[in-house]
Amino acid sequence: LDTKVLPRPLDGDVEPSSFAEMYPMNCNSRYLRLTTSAMPNSQSLVSRWQLPLGAVVCPLAEAPEGDEVPIVNFATMGIVRCRRCRTYVNPYVTFTDGGRKWRCNICALLNDVQNDYFAPLDATGKRTDLDQHPELTKGSVEFVAPAEYMVRPPMPPLYFFLIDVSISAVKSGMLEVMAQTIKSCLDSLPGSPRTQIGFITFDSTIHFYNMKSSLTQPQMMVVSDLDDIFVPLPDDLLVNLSESRAVVEAFLDSLPSMFQDNYNVESAFGPALKAAFMVMSQLGGKLLIFQSTLPSLGVGRLRLRGDDLHVYGTDKEHALRIPEDPFYKQMAADFTKFQVAVNIYAFSDKYTDIASLGTLAKYTGGQVYYYPSFHYALHTDKLRHELARDLTRETAWESVMRIRCGKGVRFTSYHGNFMLRSTDLIALPAVDCDKAYAMQFALEDALLTTQIVYFQVALLYTASCGERRIRVHTAAASVVSDLGEMYRQADTGAIVSLLGRLAIEKSLSYKLEEARNAIQLKIVKALKEYRKLYAVQHRVGSRMIYPESLKYLPLYGLSLCKSTALRGGYADAQLDERCAAGFTMMALPVKKMLKLLYPSLLRVDEYLVKTPTMDDEFGRVCKRMPLVAESLDSRGIYIFDDGFRFVVWFGRMLSLDLARNLVEEDSATDFSRNQVCLTERNNELSRKLMGILKKLREADASYYQLCHLVRQGEQPREGFFLLLNLVEDQVGGMNG
Amino acid sequence: MANTDPEGIDGVRMTWNAWPHTKVEASKCVIPIAASISPIRPHPHIPTNPYAPLRCKTCSAVLNSFCRVDFSALIWICPFCFQRNHFPPHFSDISETNVPAELYPQYTTIEYAISNHDVRHTLPPPVYVFVLDTCMIEEELVFAKSAVQQALEFLPENALVGFVSFGTQVQVHELGYSDMSKVYVFRGSKEMTKEQVLDQLGLSGGFSGGRRVGVVPGQVGGFPNSGVTRFLLPASEGAYVIHSILEELGTDQWPVAPGNRSLRCTGVALSVAAGLLGACLPGTGARIVALVGGPCTEGPGSIVSKDLSDPVRSHKDLDKDAAPYFRKAVQFYGELAKQMVNQGHVLDLFASALDQVGVAEMKVVIERTGGLVVLAESFGHSVFKDSFKRVFEKGEESLGLAHNGTLEINCSKDIKIQGIIGPCTSLDKKGPAVASTTIGQGNTTAWKLCGLDKDTCLTVFFDISSSDKDLSGNVNPQLYIQTVTSYQSADGQSKLRVTTITRRWVESAVVSEELMQGFDQETAAVVMARLASYKMEIEDTFDATRWLDRTLIRLCSKFGDYRKDDPSSFSLNPSFSLFPQFMFNLRRSQFVQVFNNSPDETAYFRMMLNRESITNATVMIQPSLISYSFQSLPSPALLDVASISADRILLLDSYFSIVIFHGMTIAQWRNLGYQNQPEHQAFAQLLQAPHDDAELIIRDRFPVPRLVVCDQHGSQARFLLAKLNPSATYNNEVAAGMDVIFTDDVNLQVFFEHLQKLAVQSS
Ligand SMILES: [Zn+2]
Ligand SMILES: [Zn+2]
Repeated sequence: LDTKVLPRPLDGDVEPSSFAEMYPMNCNSRYLRLTTSAMPNSQSLVSRWQLPLGAVVCPLAEAPEGDEVPIVNFATMGIVRCRRCRTYVNPYVTFTDGGRKWRCNICALLNDVQNDYFAPLDATGKRTDLDQHPELTKGSVEFVAPAEYMVRPPMPPLYFFLIDVSISAVKSGMLEVMAQTIKSCLDSLPGSPRTQIGFITFDSTIHFYNMKSSLTQPQMMVVSDLDDIFVPLPDDLLVNLSESRAVVEAFLDSLPSMFQDNYNVESAFGPALKAAFMVMSQLGGKLLIFQSTLPSLGVGRLRLRGDDLHVYGTDKEHALRIPEDPFYKQMAADFTKFQVAVNIYAFSDKYTDIASLGTLAKYTGGQVYYYPSFHYALHTDKLRHELARDLTRETAWESVMRIRCGKGVRFTSYHGNFMLRSTDLIALPAVDCDKAYAMQFALEDALLTTQIVYFQVALLYTASCGERRIRVHTAAASVVSDLGEMYRQADTGAIVSLLGRLAIEKSLSYKLEEARNAIQLKIVKALKEYRKLYAVQHRVGSRMIYPESLKYLPLYGLSLCKSTALRGGYADAQLDERCAAGFTMMALPVKKMLKLLYPSLLRVDEYLVKTPTMDDEFGRVCKRMPLVAESLDSRGIYIFDDGFRFVVWFGRMLSLDLARNLVEEDSATDFSRNQVCLTERNNELSRKLMGILKKLREADASYYQLCHLVRQGEQPREGFFLLLNLVEDQVGGMNG
Repeated sequence: MANTDPEGIDGVRMTWNAWPHTKVEASKCVIPIAASISPIRPHPHIPTNPYAPLRCKTCSAVLNSFCRVDFSALIWICPFCFQRNHFPPHFSDISETNVPAELYPQYTTIEYAISNHDVRHTLPPPVYVFVLDTCMIEEELVFAKSAVQQALEFLPENALVGFVSFGTQVQVHELGYSDMSKVYVFRGSKEMTKEQVLDQLGLSGGFSGGRRVGVVPGQVGGFPNSGVTRFLLPASEGAYVIHSILEELGTDQWPVAPGNRSLRCTGVALSVAAGLLGACLPGTGARIVALVGGPCTEGPGSIVSKDLSDPVRSHKDLDKDAAPYFRKAVQFYGELAKQMVNQGHVLDLFASALDQVGVAEMKVVIERTGGLVVLAESFGHSVFKDSFKRVFEKGEESLGLAHNGTLEINCSKDIKIQGIIGPCTSLDKKGPAVASTTIGQGNTTAWKLCGLDKDTCLTVFFDISSSDKDLSGNVNPQLYIQTVTSYQSADGQSKLRVTTITRRWVESAVVSEELMQGFDQETAAVVMARLASYKMEIEDTFDATRWLDRTLIRLCSKFGDYRKDDPSSFSLNPSFSLFPQFMFNLRRSQFVQVFNNSPDETAYFRMMLNRESITNATVMIQPSLISYSFQSLPSPALLDVASISADRILLLDSYFSIVIFHGMTIAQWRNLGYQNQPEHQAFAQLLQAPHDDAELIIRDRFPVPRLVVCDQHGSQARFLLAKLNPSATYNNEVAAGMDVIFTDDVNLQVFFEHLQKLAVQSS
């Protein structure tokens, strides 16, 4: 494959328009994307399609202002659902019989319209009160759920922090940044005044904190019996934030200094985890784990592994990417059962077995944040931003998600961070806008007889305000009998998201090489199939052809194979980084995934020196460039942005004057020490550059893009930060 | 006895002051040869030598006034082993006219103190760890907390203090942690070794238990366990920290199901506290001061289930072996006692509850470590409050708590030691003076006294070697016994007290006047009480009443003056005349009639019996009664129901309680307020006199006795009536105006008649 000739996704994610155009009442594609919105009508079409048939769902995707999901309260009437298949009433149901009956769009059952839901139909057969019923006009609505949707009173938002205070956590400065950030977020935690909060710290022992509101300061309670962990208080380890606010603040204020002389090098992580579970299991909630030292004591202790390069390329290789100790999966299952979602913040400068730790996030609907070799001076802003977002973004609690579809189509697999509770019920102790889930489906019968297939995603959850709600996204797709149509209506973003998840899952039981091969094979087969369809009429000879909709697929496929999670072998990515990337990619929404796979490369020096400029000019002046080394002009400054970090590249021939305006005098020519940071300096150029970075960050707030400075020719820095990521180049030990 | 200080400078009283010279003769004396010793009882005439004592190089007995000294050769001969010892050079200037204090004949007891200057470096400060139960009602906890706060004020400045609270779980407070209040929590249901406790407190130092804790700078004093200072602060700082902890300390938060007792893990709390003290430097004098408000129901040391419908074990249950928790708890506390004695530390128990708390089970720890014990109904009651205060008070009324005592006894060749009953533990130091039979803490000539005070009293049981001695020759007719007690005094000095006493062997096989004159009735009564209590505890089928009766009859047969089979001819030498009445009262006392009390009370009474002076113990057996009336000066009254009279006030001192009992007429006058009228000043004085006398008694007694003020026919009057000889019972005819005691007890007259009859019987 010669990548040089492939079309490049320099405009980022290009969504197929067909989805919305054909069915304007469909939910927005930010919530649901199908790998193709032309549904094959037969098994044989499915098999010739070669690519995965499925969807990527991001049930709580952030909506722009004015386009929020409307809330519908049926109150005493109860939520209108199909009697047989339990589909929620939606824009695609049809009213008949003068408005007294409605037909389910998914199972075709004719349901009675309850008296209090009745409205007469107009001449065209439409209800006369449509304007008062968003559920009949919008693809996305949120129903307020009555009591029968609760197995217990809706839980309050609950944030519990499990914090490593061993020497490395203290010395790195993590503890201080974390404490300050949590404190600064207390006012914006969702769900006030019901919000609950609690803390456990640990090193070789477990420290609980009594936060009873009547205390003037918290009481620290140490439990050292690691083999038989227990809770040292019946109450007050979890407290109402507004009642105990003063105690919580006192705790966060003293946390860094309390442990500043801690020389403990051990981590009783497993016992601490059990302790957190005991405290949280009454209510559920979010467990944020700050981890810095490889678990060394008690249950769940881990060992150094992954430094044996001989394992790579053998069929033992994958074992490094899954937890060694079943403790972690079991704990994750227990957490999910009790509505606890786990987020891991890992900070170690050594191997810390993200594969095992991440399992906790994977099965609880959580997330892994990895800050290798966290250093106060470098990572403060990143941790502060990401932790704050984690704490303050709107969160759905104790939720379950189910996706229904019309007769003849059946969901077969689900991919992402969650636990499957039954064959089609996804348990999500917590969900937020940054989490997406992929799924595949199959045809149940040989032929689909309907013209349209409907999909309905329903997320039942507790909102932070304490209301039980059901968010419902409904979409329709045409059924086709033409393979070409399927290809034309394919959605590369959804396909890549799904392919990526499948490959990462494959890497957990196979060699990396096999996971990569599987991606390539699928893409090649699909293109061959397409070529078979059109080779004759287009007379293309040996040239590769592809439909417009899939033109970026080969390059994204290549990028997937070069992603941190899948690339190369032993030396091409640190094991922990590889695993962390895998966990992260499993949860990424489509746009975020594509940005990560084919980052943007922008030349900014011209924009910087141009005077004066308008704000909106930036986008016009700075175009995305191909990710090849040739794009880099040694007289320029470039920003590489993959959504998780920036690399600012200074060309070798960059005018010294320009460089000195942007970075401190003495480091203007040498960035080899990682300590060089971009900070705003008192000149127009610097302000402009910082302005660009700020703008880029604002456009993509789910993670904080840490900025690395690289000067052309400084190895291995340049290679590691940038060249390796120029996916179109043959660097970085790629052998695919 | 008219002697106001019967124990003298030596603090020693013996059942027999003249000793039968063979084993056979000794056994014929019926009452065992025993000495009650008060190892550190203060006495104004005891001199202190500022140097270390001279010891015999063979038997290590200390130089004393009974040694023969050759001043010209500078040699002293040990009276125990006859070894000739040279005086060291710094004694070279001694002569007949310049003898050191220990050779003065009147200084049979002498103390040695190493100068304060050196002590500063060698003696670690004393440690007090307060262990506070929080499973009680708020009101009780407030009392208990304020008692602890008060105690902290009194502690010597250099003392170290620690604080442990417990309920369902145990909290060890890290007082040295300045950032916030910090506790180490232990599960209440789990038994733990000392090593586990230390490990979990982070005190095991370095790598033990697989736990690696980095070295904390500033703690590199070379002491492996110096981390214990995290938990123990000097009283000056610690008091403040504990004050603030107590302010926020509430009752145990763990829920108690209806119909259940609180989960209270006293056993684990004490063992955790003991473990914590285990990290102290060896030789540190340390006490666990435990305030317990109810029975242990959780974990090791439990004495009852948590179900309230199961009552706490009674003597009946113990008798029938129907106390399922008892043995296990006693075994647990037995192990704890071993640990604490090994460490040289003390358990003081302050139990205040309406129900039992398990004193019977914990007795072994308290007694083996020489701890204090106070049993009260409430932490608000003066029995607790005033006693607790007394423990920590300084000055005249101070108990003079000393630590880390070791007692060694040396004795003349034919004397063997069977053991000691009292607050101590055998150190298993074997030697020729160890008897083949054992009573109490035996098999040794040395004992550990982790805690001791100026009132501490021990009973040593002796045996005579069976070898016949030839007293006709030139062998010394005197026997010698030397007690050597080393201890850390209340004021933080390292001291050694040596008492050397001598008595005469009695030669003849027939009953001699000398033998009889040497009989100490009070001591004998107390020793019999202690021995009876001891046997009741260790012998399952022991019948104390029968044993006491038979002993008394044998004694009367042996020493009485009578014609065979003629009871009316019976009379007793004055040296024995009080003894039968002591035995009569002992038979009726709480020590023998245990079924009237709970096992906790019994254990408590017995511990006090074993550690108090002969004088005090005598009062426990046979209370004193004083009568106040217009007709005469206050005077002792017969301990008999006949002493009750409408126009008298009686003051009964039964040691644990003091009863002021107003006759009916007195009570009426008082109720009419006569005492407030100037013309009846004499009545006011009469009313006040017993209170003043009671106050005198209370002031120097520990534990503070309960004071009961009552009127004739009032409900509280039972406290008096229970102690009186039932000369008029419902079985007898009643003289008008007298009280009747409803009892089946035999009265004193009947008892004497029986005794005379049996004593004169030909066997
Ligand atoms: Zn239906
Ligand atoms: Zn000698």
